[in-house]
Amino acid sequence: MASEPPYALLGRVAPDFALHAAAGDTVRLSEHRGEVVVLSFWSSRCTSCRTQLTALNRSFATYRSAGLTMYGVGVDDDPTQSREFARSARVDFALLLDPAKAVSRSYEVDNLPMTVLIDRNGTVRYVLRDYTDASSRLYLQQLRTLLNE
Amino acid sequence: MLQTNIHPTGLPRRRRWMPGGYRTALYALGACAGLLLALSTGVHAQSAPANPPPNTPPAATPGDVGKQLFPNPQSAPLPNMQTPKPPTEVPGAKQGASEAGKQLFPGAPKNPVPASPEALTAPPAQGAGDTRGLDQEIQGLKKDVVDLNKDLFILEEELLFPANTQVAVFLSVDVGNFFALDAVQLKLDQKEVINYLYTPRERDALLKGGVQRLYLGNLKVGPHELVAFFSGSGPNARAYKRGASLRFEKGVGAKYLELKINDRQRKLEPEFEIKDWE
Repeated sequence: MASEPPYALLGRVAPDFALHAAAGDTVRLSEHRGEVVVLSFWSSRCTSCRTQLTALNRSFATYRSAGLTMYGVGVDDDPTQSREFARSARVDFALLLDPAKAVSRSYEVDNLPMTVLIDRNGTVRYVLRDYTDASSRLYLQQLRTLLNE
Repeated sequence: MLQTNIHPTGLPRRRRWMPGGYRTALYALGACAGLLLALSTGVHAQSAPANPPPNTPPAATPGDVGKQLFPNPQSAPLPNMQTPKPPTEVPGAKQGASEAGKQLFPGAPKNPVPASPEALTAPPAQGAGDTRGLDQEIQGLKKDVVDLNKDLFILEEELLFPANTQVAVFLSVDVGNFFALDAVQLKLDQKEVINYLYTPRERDALLKGGVQRLYLGNLKVGPHELVAFFSGSGPNARAYKRGASLRFEKGVGAKYLELKINDRQRKLEPEFEIKDWE
């Protein structure tokens, strides 16, 4: 079984972006310097994305007060589908729309769901390219590490 | 009766008893002061750099700062008041300790003299002075780095966007009662050069009088056209999109253009204009 290719953005400054939210104002990543940011890339056609977003929402509710910011980035071509998905997802964090896929290209998204963890200095520290029980445990460990820094 | 209160030495009994008690109190205070001084010296030795030897040059180069911050404990012995006899196995330790003693108490006698009560509250002057000096030096270095970064940024801009070909587009918002800016798309000679989305923070900054440099690029001499599309929410919070264009002549020298969003009070709607800074 071939191993995953290394993620090129690890250890580098996270590419800045500004995206419209499905409900709410525009979000710019650079305005969240000093906070731990979790970006989760999703699509309305991805079944495991919904489960992952629900799991992420639990961690967001737990660690929000410790300086955690979380955004879901929808990569659907049709923003209407993304908006409908966002309405039904019922998560507490903002779901952003990236129909032009400029942000997903800059983050080199090659699998869905994909989660990128950015530390308080704006550096990409961890990436999870799937959603399993093992990756969920790993995600929590990595998140706690970043929040403790 | 008066004779009974007088001691044969000629001093009143109570006056004769007091000096002894006062001396005892002074000895106790002195011991406390010595203990506090030794403790504070130990704390400084752990947290602050050691006092430099007398032959150390006072001005340190930036490369030497790290050496001063984290000195090698073997090469630079720390002044430790609790151990009057340094271990003889370490070469140079005895000399270092004696030098440290000289620095702390120049001309001090061997037997401890009871310290005055002021010594209890007085901080270790030299150690604090060294720390303060280091702090000032670090702050100075930080300022130098910031200045250098600024100079490099200016130099980079001058190289990438020379004054002869430079064109800059700025954006400002006045009042903003009839329009909440959401995005600006800029086309220069029919080519999109920027599409900028505004967050609530950026909108607030613009409303407070901020001027944003939206675009900086290069253009050749000659006629050009700038088209700007503004989108956001207009009166009654409805989606609002308007455009503005300007034909301008780029001469020799930098060109500065400003996109202005004003409130037109008569028509109760926003007004968009492009101003050419001559």
